[in-house]
This record gives sequence, structure tokens and C-alpha cells, in this order.
Amino acid sequence: MNPLGNLTAKPEAPKLQRKVRLSFPVILFSVLGLLTLGLFAFVTIRPIQVLPRITLGPGYFLTDANGEAVTNEDFRGSLVLYNFTYLNCQAPCPETTGVMQEVQARLDEIDTAGIPVRLVTISFDPARDTPAALQTAAATLHADPEVWTFLTGAPERLKWLIGGGFSVFYEERQPGEFRFDPAFMLVDGAGILRAEYRTAAPDVDRILRDMRLVTEEVRNRQGVANYAYDAAHLFLCYPR
Amino acid sequence: MTKMTDSSESEFDLVEPPPAPKKTTQGRLYVLISIGLVLGLLLGWVLVRLSQGRPLFGPPEFHGLVIQSPPPLSNFSLTATNGEEMSLLDFRGKLVVLYFGYTFCPDVCPATMVELKRMMEELGRDAQDVQVIMISVDPERDTPEKLGAYVTQFNPSFIGMTGTEDDLLGVTTQLGIFYQKHEGTPATGYLIDHTATVSVLDEDGRLRLVFPFGTTGEDMAADLRHLLP
Repeated sequence: MNPLGNLTAKPEAPKLQRKVRLSFPVILFSVLGLLTLGLFAFVTIRPIQVLPRITLGPGYFLTDANGEAVTNEDFRGSLVLYNFTYLNCQAPCPETTGVMQEVQARLDEIDTAGIPVRLVTISFDPARDTPAALQTAAATLHADPEVWTFLTGAPERLKWLIGGGFSVFYEERQPGEFRFDPAFMLVDGAGILRAEYRTAAPDVDRILRDMRLVTEEVRNRQGVANYAYDAAHLFLCYPR
Repeated sequence: MTKMTDSSESEFDLVEPPPAPKKTTQGRLYVLISIGLVLGLLLGWVLVRLSQGRPLFGPPEFHGLVIQSPPPLSNFSLTATNGEEMSLLDFRGKLVVLYFGYTFCPDVCPATMVELKRMMEELGRDAQDVQVIMISVDPERDTPEKLGAYVTQFNPSFIGMTGTEDDLLGVTTQLGIFYQKHEGTPATGYLIDHTATVSVLDEDGRLRLVFPFGTTGEDMAADLRHLLP
């Protein structure tokens, strides 16, 4: 453009070439170095965080508080938080039920991109927790029937589901008195287990953040972002 | 002045010319080798991708649901159609395609079995590394003989298996599959609701793929080819 600029620029160009020879190996190694640096930054800074795809969630056929059949396929397309309990429980249950209540109350805090979020409480005491008993419990807990479902079923099927499928321990010590490990499980819309919280009082903020991460991934997985998400899974970019 | 320039010129004459050609030939050699390496790698990669029928960029595209980093399934044994007890361990080294159904099944099961038969035909010689097993969730009515006759009419290599409710729940639960008996019409007798997906286990007994109902035999065969050794 400017003749003066051209004059001043021209003598500089050869000087630069003398200092750093832009030969092919230099370009090759600097590109490789930049790629490695970029990868390192991606893995350490983790601009995209994902939840691990732990394993396929278990299949089941159970009965809800209205006496109707509910299967794992009924929750396809929804993000489901499971917990396991029995209604006559004294020790850790008020806490675990409180967690479910808090999650239900705070669901509107997260943008789930139109993906329905469901809560499912499974009772492993079908002898006492009849559908009618589950209905009263749901009413006293102010469970929103659109969101929070209570399930139970045959003892053998419950053992296979909770013990075999979710690897959660429970045992009837005396009639109507159970010992169990409190646990919460997050299963995504494809039926894949994404998070386990094996404690009576998990951090509700963490549960909500995990729900947000899963729904964000579903919403953002388009085009090039697909590869970015695959890379995030490959390099285990899990939230801390 | 003249002397100095002369001396410097002579110095240049003595020193510069000999190393200069060396550097360029070395540089050219490096350039040629690295270009050759990169081109060779690219060509090899393209050939490998094309020979596997994969897209040039990105991971292979599967039709079924891919299960990432799957843990091995716990072993199970059921009664096979040859009357023997067979376990998952007996099929190590083969891709195992599991389908859950029952011989009285009026609609979904025959349709899926036909697609599995097509899948085997599509696989051609690769079919010898694939074992299709139909597990009956109706052990009351499906005796080994009846089940055997049913599955082999689709493909002689197909195996049928069944067991007690406890045995069956152990397999179905971990594969995300449910089943439940319910009353049908007097003509059909009872029916069984069951998940209609097809599960694919790799040669180490890990669940790798889940095909939804309605996946064609061609699509299943294409996916299995990616998993074959």
C-alpha cells in the first residue's frame, strides 16, 4: 500500500529469514508443539467438562404408587435420579428423603434444555410398602407426581435391581427392619449410569451441577462440538 | 579499505562456499524425508480407513448405541438348546449377539430374528466369529427342544438358551432389559412384555452395542464389522 512501508518492510524480511529459517522441519515441529500444548491446555484447563459414562443402567419392571407397571424404558429420554429406601426407616432415611425433596424444590434452578428430570424412589420393603402406603408417603413429602415416582415390586426382582444392577447393599435384619447403604444414582436418557453418590447426605449443589452437565452435553453435541465432547470423554475431563 | 575488503572477500571465498552446498543438501534431505514420512503416514491411514469402510474423518459411525469403556459382564449359565448348561465363558473369542424373546411371541421376536438372520448372511465369512443367542424369557413353555427348533429355522448356527427366573433376571438386569408376564387372550395364552433391543458383547464378554428394535440386518452387520478383530 504505502511505498515507504514497502521500502522499510523489504529490508527487514530477509533479516528475519536469516534468524529463524522457516524450513520444513521447523514448521512441522512447531505445529506439533502447538498441538501438544493445545492438548495439554485442553486436559488441564478443561473448557468442556463431562460426566463419565459409567455403565449401562439396569433394566427393571416394577409397580408405582397407583399400582401401574413402570419399566426402565418409561424413563428413556429423561434424566433420572434414583434412591433406595423403605418407609418405616428411622436412621438415615429422613436425610436421604430430604435430599430428594431439596432436589425437587431446586430443579428450576438449572436449565435442562427441555430434557425432563425425574426422581425415582424405590422401596425394598414391598411387604409393608404397598402402593397405597407409597401414595400416602408421596403426599406427605409433597412429591410432585409429574416429577417424583415411588416404585416397588417382587422381592427377588428388587434384589436383582438394587443389589445386582446398582450394586447397593441392603438386607432385612428383622421383619420390617432393614440395614442398607444409602445411595443415589443418576441415569441419563439413553439409560446409561452417569454418577453415583454413595452417601446419606450428598451435596445437592453437586447433584444439580451434574444434572446440568449431562443436559448441556445433550444440547451442545452438534457438528464439531461432537468431537470436542468425545475428546473430553477420552481425556477424562470430569468435574473436580 | 581495499585490503580489508579483499581479505574479507577472500575469507568468504574460502569459508562460505564449501559449507553452503552441504547445508542445502542436508536440508533438502530432511525436507524430503519428512515430507515422505508424512505423506506415507497419510496414505496408509487413508487406505486403512477406506479398507475398513469407515469415514475418512472421525470415529466409525455406529447405528446402535455404543457403550463406552464397558466393564465385563458377570458370567451366567443357562440351559442351551442342545440340553447342556452353557455359560458366557464358552463364547469367549466370538462376538455374542443376545436377543431376549420367546417362541410364542407374536410380532416383535420373529421380526428381529429375521433381521438377525439377514445380518449373518450380510456378514458372509465373518459370520463364523459371531454367535447369535436367543434367550427365552418364557422357560415355562419354551423347552430346549422347542426353542432349538425355533431358532435354527432362522439360521442353523443360532443357539437358544433359557433358565429359571433367578438365572434370567441375573442376565437381563445387567443388560438393561426387563420382562414381565401378563395375561393375553384365551387364544394366545399369556404374553410376555420384554425389551426388544439386541445386545452385542465383544470377544471379552463386554457389552459394546445395543441395537434398538427395528435396526436392519445390514446396519447390524456394518456395526459388527467394526468390532470384529
